[in-house]
Amino acid sequence: MELNLVIQIWMAAIFTIWIYSIAFRDNDFFKFAEYTFVGAAAGHSLVYGIENLRRYGWDNLMGGAYLYVVVFLLGILLYSRYHPQYFWVSRYPLSVMVGLGIGLSMRAVVTAEFIAQIKSTAAVQILGVTDPIKLVSNIIFIVLVVTTVYFFLFTFPKAHEGGLGIIPKIARYGMMAAFSYSFANTVLSRYNMIFGRLDYIYNQWLPLPGAIIAFPIVLILLVYAMLPPEKRPWPKKA
Amino acid sequence: MSGQGKGIWDKLENIPREVLYGILLVVFVIPMLFPLGLPVPISANVRKWYATIDALPPGSVVMMDFGYSGGGEPELGPMAVAVYNHLFKKEGIKVISMSTSIEGPQLWDKAIAEIRPEQSYGAQYGVDYINIGYIAGTETAMAAVGKDLRATTSTDYKGNPLSQYPIMDGIVDATSFDLLIVYTTGGDQSEGWVRQWYTVYGTPYLCSVLAMMIPTMLPYQNAGQIVAVTSGAMAGQMELLVNVPARGIKSADVITLTHLLCVVYVAIGNIAYFAKKAQGGK
Repeated sequence: MELNLVIQIWMAAIFTIWIYSIAFRDNDFFKFAEYTFVGAAAGHSLVYGIENLRRYGWDNLMGGAYLYVVVFLLGILLYSRYHPQYFWVSRYPLSVMVGLGIGLSMRAVVTAEFIAQIKSTAAVQILGVTDPIKLVSNIIFIVLVVTTVYFFLFTFPKAHEGGLGIIPKIARYGMMAAFSYSFANTVLSRYNMIFGRLDYIYNQWLPLPGAIIAFPIVLILLVYAMLPPEKRPWPKKA
Repeated sequence: MSGQGKGIWDKLENIPREVLYGILLVVFVIPMLFPLGLPVPISANVRKWYATIDALPPGSVVMMDFGYSGGGEPELGPMAVAVYNHLFKKEGIKVISMSTSIEGPQLWDKAIAEIRPEQSYGAQYGVDYINIGYIAGTETAMAAVGKDLRATTSTDYKGNPLSQYPIMDGIVDATSFDLLIVYTTGGDQSEGWVRQWYTVYGTPYLCSVLAMMIPTMLPYQNAGQIVAVTSGAMAGQMELLVNVPARGIKSADVITLTHLLCVVYVAIGNIAYFAKKAQGGK
């Protein structure tokens, strides 16, 4: 195995342990790993930012597309926001960016987010459905759509009182079920991530020479770092 | 008696997180050391995803977005590898990859190193597959590539001209592609592809996201805008169908046991809450 790959694996494994140590208690190793990650991510983004400037802007400009001068000028103007007097100039490139983004997404958003979704919701059937599970599912779907729309549209107090109070109550239960489904899936995602890192430590790092000795040392140092300074046997305060 | 009982419920409601995470860690490690081989049922969406790729005729061109970040790699990486294996197993499928995530090119490299297309399938870079790199702008990138790929980028992720690669012959815009496959950790990407490719060009779209994003993406599938939505957590199922067992299937035991533990935690919390309430506590 190449030396640079070995160093990569050692660093990745030890940083993984340091980062997950926050689950037990805050410590200096976690902070070091956290700040290193933020710094590395910022550095990575900066390198890619410069690469993008070259790839999509500078190369085109040098290739004769002189209109890109405007793009570079707008980009430079963004930095005027740091000037106390001329900060307002940055609003011009920002407005171009926001306008472009909105224009681009709006061309499809009505079809993709509204019409298609409303059509799909309206197409849910009760009559003629032979599968009993599907039938119950469709009935629950329709009831929850109607009650949830009622919950958010009719917000004046009388619409939520007396006999009508049952409608927002059903909607609340429906929404809580949806949120819990999201939460359960979030737990699944997080567990997958933990497994991925543990698998990496177990199958990539521990088989390397010396890792099996280093592993308990890393853990002992971590436990030590988690102790409050006054409880540490060493170094003693003068 | 009552005071003593109340103490127990209080303790159960406030178990230190170090204990909870410690037990969780043990439950993670045990099945890694001693695999249980629990059954892995294959869901309808994974079957639909598999069937969609299986139905591609030779000569089809697939656009693949490696739109996930390093944090999502343990979940989405195995799925990407399994699907790539399926595509390489089929004859004559061309796969063009890009990234709407800044870390995408490195993660693509990692996936390819796992698959080893040259050795395993005789596939060649630039002939059967290629990576055109990270394209900045998220939704503007999708729109730009869909409108005119060559005008958006003229090089692959290594900086070599696209014109030197045979796979790029005849590739102009979104209409040149028969299928769009997206792995992403971002809602902007997964929904953006619906807006910029499916809605505008009608390109069939397969989407794999983090499990937590599934509830957001399922309505798009129900509306027919996405053929099938899967989570990266279903990678084991895909590996079984493709018959290339790897990281996904290894996680199945661990995920099952840790979820059972999670259910136990929830049950303990609820029992303690209701028991305290029954005793007149808050």
